[in-house]
Amino acid sequence: MPVVEFLQFTLSGVVFGMIYAAIALSLVLIWRGTRLLNYAQGGMAMFTTYVAIEVIYHTGSYWAGFVVALAAGVVLGAVCQLTVIRPTMNKPPLNAVIVTIGLLILLEGLAGIFFGGQYRSFPAAFSITGLKVGTTPLGVSRFDVFVVAAVLVTTLALAAAFRYTSVGLRMRASAFNATIARLSGIRVARMLTIGWALAGLLGALAGVLVSPSTFLYPNSMDAIFVFGFTAAVIGGLDSPVGAVVGGLLLGIALSYVAGYLGSKGSELTSLVALGILVVVLMIRPDGLFSATKVRRV
Amino acid sequence: MSSAAAEHNGSPALAVEGLVAGYGGVVALDGVSISAGTAAITAVLGANGAGKTTLLRAVSGMIRPRRGRVLLGGTDLAGRSPEQMVRAGVAHVPEGQGVIPELTVEENLRIGMMSWPSGRGRAPAGSAGPRSSRAERAAALDEAYGRFRPLADRRRKLAATLSGGERQMLVIARALLSRPHVLLLDEPSLGLAPRIMAQVMDLVVRLSREQGLTIVLVEQNARSALAIADHGVVLNLGRVVASADAQTLAADIALRHHYLGF
Amino acid sequence: MTMGTLPRRLGVAVVMAVIVWFLSVKLNTFRDYQIAEVATEVTAVAGLTVLTGLSGQISLGNGAFMAIGGYTTALLLMHLNWPFFAALVASGAVAVAAGAIVGVAAARLRGPYLAGATLMLGVALPSVAYAWPGVFGGDQGLNVAFTTPAFLGATFPLTRWQAWVSTAVALVTLVLLANLCYSRIGRNWRAVRDDEVAAALDGVNVAVTRILAFVVSAGCAGLAGSLLAIVTSLVAPGAFTITLSISLLTAAVIGGLGSLPGALWGSLVIVLVPTYVTDVATSHGLSSSVGSNIPIAAYGVVLILVMLIFPQGIQGGLRRLLTAFTGPDPKTRTRHDASAAHVTPSADDASASQHEKEGTS
Repeated sequence: MPVVEFLQFTLSGVVFGMIYAAIALSLVLIWRGTRLLNYAQGGMAMFTTYVAIEVIYHTGSYWAGFVVALAAGVVLGAVCQLTVIRPTMNKPPLNAVIVTIGLLILLEGLAGIFFGGQYRSFPAAFSITGLKVGTTPLGVSRFDVFVVAAVLVTTLALAAAFRYTSVGLRMRASAFNATIARLSGIRVARMLTIGWALAGLLGALAGVLVSPSTFLYPNSMDAIFVFGFTAAVIGGLDSPVGAVVGGLLLGIALSYVAGYLGSKGSELTSLVALGILVVVLMIRPDGLFSATKVRRV
Repeated sequence: MSSAAAEHNGSPALAVEGLVAGYGGVVALDGVSISAGTAAITAVLGANGAGKTTLLRAVSGMIRPRRGRVLLGGTDLAGRSPEQMVRAGVAHVPEGQGVIPELTVEENLRIGMMSWPSGRGRAPAGSAGPRSSRAERAAALDEAYGRFRPLADRRRKLAATLSGGERQMLVIARALLSRPHVLLLDEPSLGLAPRIMAQVMDLVVRLSREQGLTIVLVEQNARSALAIADHGVVLNLGRVVASADAQTLAADIALRHHYLGF
Repeated sequence: MTMGTLPRRLGVAVVMAVIVWFLSVKLNTFRDYQIAEVATEVTAVAGLTVLTGLSGQISLGNGAFMAIGGYTTALLLMHLNWPFFAALVASGAVAVAAGAIVGVAAARLRGPYLAGATLMLGVALPSVAYAWPGVFGGDQGLNVAFTTPAFLGATFPLTRWQAWVSTAVALVTLVLLANLCYSRIGRNWRAVRDDEVAAALDGVNVAVTRILAFVVSAGCAGLAGSLLAIVTSLVAPGAFTITLSISLLTAAVIGGLGSLPGALWGSLVIVLVPTYVTDVATSHGLSSSVGSNIPIAAYGVVLILVMLIFPQGIQGGLRRLLTAFTGPDPKTRTRHDASAAHVTPSADDASASQHEKEGTS
């Protein structure tokens, strides 16, 4: 039935959309704080997911792996910012681009060295059999619901932390005006590191949530990263809300393309994504939720 | 180190000696020595490009001086970071955009208290001792709202909605919340209507007289600055060309014409 | 040593041609192949370094223009039997047209938004080959037949001829780009990069200037794609992945953004370093999964280290060495020296990023 099909595609689009949103959010976090794009975000997520699979393998506990992945994301984000990103702060901006690209390549190489290059399957937290309402399949499983819930809860928790805590205020102040923040005694450098740590957490979350579908191998997060980046650009790099909206928009649209156009559709997903991106940027060159900037002169 | 202790020392609250600072290949301060009397208002005057803003930046830690000393109550703090300087009691209100428009009035004020040691507020002079952090901060906010009525009325609004004069008030209120001994004001009246400018200047005078704050005031509008200052310093091309009490400077017509434009 | 005059540029090009001729004769087949690879990369990277360094527009998708050039050449050679040099020019023209379309679409985009759009272009375009396998050969791609011309004799090695052809194209491209950079167009590019509003007030047509830069870089990439087709004898989607686009940008920045010699240094790095590190790894006989990944990790480390140690790229580093020996020359002060003047030296000052124009990152 066409309505059921539509519902199925929409729901599964929402699931992938939330993954893209998680990556998009991590990019927005880093962009707002440091005005950098972290091209290694997907690679960092891949690496922490490998750490998770090793923990799961050795302890037999999914949740232990889950928690360790998130913790590893925090640590990896902070370590990367402190070691290789900080020295690029006062240099030409493209240097940081190349540094993050180098970081991505390094992480992919290290993953191959430590964990082997073959495809590995990653377990899902809950059952992946499709849910039904009565006899109608919904196209999503319990695990898919968990994916959406996990990303939503994390996003809301972060939003609340930014809004209501002292650390959150310090981070926002540092992002809006680092000079004023420093003159008020805020240790802006520390806030930047925390920003990268939180971005690492979001990336790690995206990694463990998507890997059951994609298998895990050193390049497995590359495509997710591209779509996450696209979602962030669509939404506007300064806007967390935009990241979520962009992610959902992209996820749902691509789900329709793959669903309605079958195998041809899967080949066309990146072209469709390009099309959406071009249309959005033609109308709003800074993304959907960008604040309109004042034009000088 | 409180200003009372500094006076005891015999040294002024703030002094710079032989300060050399600049940007890249440009030297903006070329061996500047200035002393700001404790609890007095020192006006720093001069044309555009004379080095006034650079002087404040070198003192507050925004730029690192190449040579020279920055003495706070006799201790050399040159080259410290802004985060450290504000904790040492130096508050810098930079020129132009001092308010963070994306945050609310109350959030802007809270930022002023970020330099307090965590767990305890910095006790103002004469208080009984440290109280709980939250109570101390709430009390400080109340005090700020008490002194600056318009801010109290708009505490939950975004700072972007404030008028020019209200923003200046917010910026000074925030600086005061860091409980400074020295306040560096860079062109506080810039872009303000004359009536508002007068209110700001009044405020500056009251801060110095009532609170014993040492104030260094950089102003393009030399006339109004000298009207409220105790002491004046004139910079030209990175050097001190005159340093005297405000009345003497205001009366020196040749000097005024040459360096100050009136 | 500036490249301010045409005779000087031609002179340098001739010298380089002689050097390459000498190397191609003396070195073995594999080295000839590497010369061809480097020349191919230089052609594309030079266009990109002009686009990103001189006109300030980042592109993560120039691999797409290479694909367009490569497939055009393959199709013309295969279906219409054109001589190679005709196909080369046609490929450049088609890529130029594509560049104009992209340039117009991207004219209002800045910084990361431009990066995102060109990234998606680089990812999406190769998938056209999968979607229409009848025309484009799908996953397997199209074979490209390329032989040495008759006048060289039957025993002339193909790889040497490939090296000569690609070097010639690269050198011509470099000379033409140098001419552009020193012309009014080049000045307009720099003006728009540094301050759009001021340039507009000065009478520069900002949109046309930006689009022109895209067109030029696309043309160079198209020529490079055509060279890639004859050097590897194949065009397939797997040769034009996003990795290619990213490696072009990497080469441009590592070599020294905005500098044509930098395009050469960067191309040498991205062609030679991975091969070298792979050789070192295999000669130590490391087990396959570790052994094949060490070069990857090492390459990543090289990129990071070069960027951290030489923030102006290799060309900038060479310039610093040169001034260390010969004393400062006011003509060689780069734009970055000037913009660094407003920045606090402390390592943890993030305010610089606040005050800089929205950078391409």
